Amino acid sequence: MKKHHISAFVFLVLAIAAAGVAGASFLSMRKSEYIAKGAGVSEVRMLSDWFPVLAGGPGDTEVYILRAGTGQHEGSDASMLVLGGTHPNEPAGYMAAVLLIENALAAAGTLYVIPRANNSAFTHNDPQEGSPQGFIIETAAGNRFFRYGSRATNPIHQWPDPDVYIHASSGQSLSGNETRNLNRGYPGKPDGTLTEKICYGITELIKKEGITITVDLHEASPEYPVNMAMVAHPNAMPLASETVIGLEMQDIAIRLEPSPVNLRGLTHRELGDFTDTLPVLMETPNASQGRLRGKTDEALVLTGIDPWYVRAEKLGRLYVPYDENGHPLEERVGRHLAGIAELALSWTLNNPDRPLEFAALPGYAELLETGLGAWLKAPLE
Amino acid sequence: MKIIYLSILTAVLGLCLWCLFSAKKASVQATAAMVIVPLVLRLLLIN
Repeated sequence: MKKHHISAFVFLVLAIAAAGVAGASFLSMRKSEYIAKGAGVSEVRMLSDWFPVLAGGPGDTEVYILRAGTGQHEGSDASMLVLGGTHPNEPAGYMAAVLLIENALAAAGTLYVIPRANNSAFTHNDPQEGSPQGFIIETAAGNRFFRYGSRATNPIHQWPDPDVYIHASSGQSLSGNETRNLNRGYPGKPDGTLTEKICYGITELIKKEGITITVDLHEASPEYPVNMAMVAHPNAMPLASETVIGLEMQDIAIRLEPSPVNLRGLTHRELGDFTDTLPVLMETPNASQGRLRGKTDEALVLTGIDPWYVRAEKLGRLYVPYDENGHPLEERVGRHLAGIAELALSWTLNNPDRPLEFAALPGYAELLETGLGAWLKAPLE
Repeated sequence: MKIIYLSILTAVLGLCLWCLFSAKKASVQATAAMVIVPLVLRLLLIN
């Protein structure tokens, strides 16, 4: 064997070892982390129960159902569906869903929670954005790890992207990569792409279960205009208006935005047009997905502290207040949970014969004081 | 479509391996080895 063949073999072994280490890291993203079933969870089903085509595939995902037990309001047929993890790089939506599953008790009506609405998007992240693969929340009983995924369905599961994405039911043209964005695919298509099939499954769940209110939890870059906001379909506008007033009375500043008629494929537009549910979407400020951010790491996800955003705020470039304290994850999750509680309260005040009430949830101020860890169950041994 | 993608990947990977074993300069071999890493991951459909 010639000398350069020996060195080539050594380099090949090193390359395979590097691929092995990187591959193991990437593959670890495909394992879903543990979510504890709280005392209020009556049943855990899969989205494929409503759309069997998804069964066993990367788009299938858990649906946690919390039904009111025996009591005064047992008979209420009102229900709420909470979508967390539509975009897994917006962790407040996902964590709010996890806190609901691990803590909430349905005192009246039924709560459906899908923590990983786009399960495929949790199986990868955006390394070229410097995104961390996950973040750790400390609890009294140990650390809990949560995944930080991508905005879009994993290209391993849906590929290739077209040059132009045509929204199925409206014909609207969007950038090709939006074909893997769950919140551009509603109401979905039973024989469409994986993303469209997931949308269709969620729409089927809403129709078959007669979901009263649907809440889609998101986060947005601090420089994005629709932020610290609730976006509502015209059918949901009266409910959302009362909710926003209720939140303002708790000193939680929030804007109310009408769902744009010409922006198609989003929950707050299509679910209102194609089903009887009252859809709203909530946004909180997340620096880790912004374009003006500096160092991108786990700490930025958890604290939102970023000097570049403080500077941008001073220059008047942001749509949300931003100071040295950032916008920590507990504040963003607290906003989502307060919005959900207030939506249920507003609904119940207007529909006393069909109440919707969720107990044992942390309040906004309480969550700010205690942190997320106080409301998470012990890690799986 | 996936077959075409994997076929192109296999061809490029083969060329890189040929380059790795035919090159006499260590710097060229190291470069070929670095290119091989993402190609192997892509071939195995690991992101």
